[in-house]
Amino acid sequence: MFRKLYNWFDSRTGAQASLEEALYENIPGGAKWRYVSGSMLVFAFMTQMITGLFLWMHYSPGSQNAWASVYYITFEMEGGNLLRGVHHVMAQAMVCLLPIHLLQVVIEKAYTKPREFNWWLGLVLMLITLALGLTGYLLPWDQKGYWATKVATELAALPPVIGGLTQKLIVGGTDYGHFTLTRFFALHAGVLPGLLIGFLVLHLAMFRKHGITAHSSPHRPDQLFWPMQVLKDGIACALLFAVVVFAAIAEPVELGPPAEPTEAFGAARPEWYFLFLFQMLKYFDGSLGFNTELVGAIVLPAVLVGFMFAMPLIARKKFGHHLNVTVIVVIVSAAVYLTWEAKQEDNYYLNHPDDTQSAPYKKSKRFHEEVGRSEKEFELIQQLVKDYGIPLEGPTALQQRDPLTMGLRLFRRQCASCHAYSHEEFAIAGPASPAATSDSPGNYGAPDLAYFGSVKWIRGLLSNDSVTGIRGERYFGKTLHVAGEMAEHVHETLWAAAETEADRQALATQIEQVAWALSAEAKLPYLDYAANQEKIDAGIGHLNDDTLGCIGCHNYGDNEDGYVIDLNGYASVDWLTKMISDPAQTGFYDGGSENDRMPSFHSEATKLLTPREIELLVRFLREDHTLLDD
Amino acid sequence: MNEVKPKSRDTETSPPQTTNERRGFLSSAAAITAAALGGLLGVGPLAIGLYATVMDPLRKKTTPQKAAGSAGATGAKEGYYFVAQIGELDSHVPRRFTIVADKIDAWNFMKDQPIGAVYMRMQGEQIECFHTTCPHAGCAVSYELESQAYLCPCHNSSFKVDGSKLEFSGSSNPSPRGLDALEVDVQGTNVFVKYEDYFTGRHDQVAK
Ligand code: FES
Repeated sequence: MFRKLYNWFDSRTGAQASLEEALYENIPGGAKWRYVSGSMLVFAFMTQMITGLFLWMHYSPGSQNAWASVYYITFEMEGGNLLRGVHHVMAQAMVCLLPIHLLQVVIEKAYTKPREFNWWLGLVLMLITLALGLTGYLLPWDQKGYWATKVATELAALPPVIGGLTQKLIVGGTDYGHFTLTRFFALHAGVLPGLLIGFLVLHLAMFRKHGITAHSSPHRPDQLFWPMQVLKDGIACALLFAVVVFAAIAEPVELGPPAEPTEAFGAARPEWYFLFLFQMLKYFDGSLGFNTELVGAIVLPAVLVGFMFAMPLIARKKFGHHLNVTVIVVIVSAAVYLTWEAKQEDNYYLNHPDDTQSAPYKKSKRFHEEVGRSEKEFELIQQLVKDYGIPLEGPTALQQRDPLTMGLRLFRRQCASCHAYSHEEFAIAGPASPAATSDSPGNYGAPDLAYFGSVKWIRGLLSNDSVTGIRGERYFGKTLHVAGEMAEHVHETLWAAAETEADRQALATQIEQVAWALSAEAKLPYLDYAANQEKIDAGIGHLNDDTLGCIGCHNYGDNEDGYVIDLNGYASVDWLTKMISDPAQTGFYDGGSENDRMPSFHSEATKLLTPREIELLVRFLREDHTLLDD
Repeated sequence: MNEVKPKSRDTETSPPQTTNERRGFLSSAAAITAAALGGLLGVGPLAIGLYATVMDPLRKKTTPQKAAGSAGATGAKEGYYFVAQIGELDSHVPRRFTIVADKIDAWNFMKDQPIGAVYMRMQGEQIECFHTTCPHAGCAVSYELESQAYLCPCHNSSFKVDGSKLEFSGSSNPSPRGLDALEVDVQGTNVFVKYEDYFTGRHDQVAK
């Protein structure tokens, strides 16, 4: 019965003959393990097609959707991380297998007559594969992919005359946006795989026409492709798949924070297999007068690829093959060296921990800081997505309402040139050293604002410890106020008067109580004021009785004679908003005359920050992480 | 069986008498027409697609994604965007300012989006203004207080505070030119900047 059915099927389709034709290829010298690289590449590509199709089912190109959909695939879909991971790792495996396959062909001299066309087809396949890697890197639309791909498309504009046009066509305009994604996606999932399939069919057909390059050997009999070679190929591919799955599980594929065109990412690097090209750009520094960047980015790579295309023709000449082998070995070694060098530069600060003053050290340190910052931003957006979901306007709209994400960005940009923020979780370094700024030493920074307005912070301000107290780095140590009345009062009046240990104990207790009373003005969301009402009440008493001599200068409660830093509502939302907007107004630095260097960030004359940004900063400083609503 | 009923395949696929028609591929008018038609059939859809989709961005103005400058102040000249008030500029340290304007991204219109950034500082009476894009290959430079220079995180380009290339021994500086200076227009206390993107990797500053 089955036999009959099969005969009917075969007579209509000729399946048996085709299958035999495909499987009974003679292999001179028999099946060998080293013939597996080609099959592995085909298998890898098949894996990419299949996993890619499934990724496509849930991927949505477009500036608002791309990151969100990749986030969904990676973190919300069960098995999605594995799917994306396999696609990601297999792509790299393909790029690793390519040079192996290519080197084999060169060493076996299989690129020469009569197989020229197959060599050329192979090179085209290699270029398509690399283009797939390049276009795929952008699709998640995260900071890393965005900024790294930007460099690549900038380079597309280098060729004279057609450069600008080419760039516009690739990017879909002058700026990155929807069209960049839709175009890259069409290339990555449609045009390039289509071309690859077409060229692969030709490559295989050509391969069958010429057969395997090996010659029959008297010691090893010829074998047919089926079954031994197919078995070997199968085992190799299964192993490859196992390794890829293992790698995808062991090191889950990453996703960076969403792309933000005006929030530059200082650690943009291409995929590792393009790193040598990236590194090579550094060597073409324009010192020759003509546009050497064009040479480094386009001409030289094109010449190398051109050389590879010419190899079968060169091989006809005497020693041509040797020349080819030499050049290929040089290219591969150079690529390996440049990759190593690029890694070396980025890791300089880890490998040379003592060389702190050198430019490479600082550059590499900044690189790692940026990597860390981006990881932090990702953690934050991940939490936001968990708490709120991704809005229609995209993930960046969520970030822009988050006091933590925006606070860190704004603080770094606007505040960190004076203030440090030594928070346990989100530290931001302040200004580096006195010599580095235009102002005179001793007057180059400002108080550390981590935990500003908390009991801990105020307690430190009222301490005379030379390191952690008011004259220390964390308070007035970097400002003119280090010699001002406040510091003098704390040192010379309060603590100098406490002569015995018992006095000091009593003073510390009073300070603790005043700190609670003042912090209660701030109503910080992370402190438990209700549980410390006694201290607060005692502190309010001290302030009203002027036990510590505060209200001679500061306003508090009924006292309205103060002229600096109003203690009513100290560090509250309103107080901070005013302080950041315009510290020249009354209630802060006596109309500005006591101000060291605190700028106005939103006043008549200056609008360095918008009211919205100030609101975000205020919440950030108070560690109030509720989203800004509009 | 064969004798009784020959395989249908044999009758269907055995070619008719074609020997004289095979003489030359393009020997008759019919053949030429057929070949031309075959070619056109492929080119037709391709041409429509290339024209409509691929070339679409070329038909937009040079900066298709930026609508006219709006936020912050009125009175901007054509192509200028409000960027800051004059009191915000420092005479030593360049400050980074984001340019906010309405933006069109393909089919979306978005109000008040950050569309780019510049560094500005006062130099005597003059305002110095630089694009934040590195002229080498488009990464974003940042001004580092510690080294008093603009540094690019990508391929080691660095620039002096006046925007010119910073050369120091032991490090290459692949940027083909200094930072791109932008034209500034002051009206009252409002500072407007002619914000444009420039091609990177060239010796001269050419707008995209
Ligand atoms: S992009 Fe700035 S150095 Fe290359």
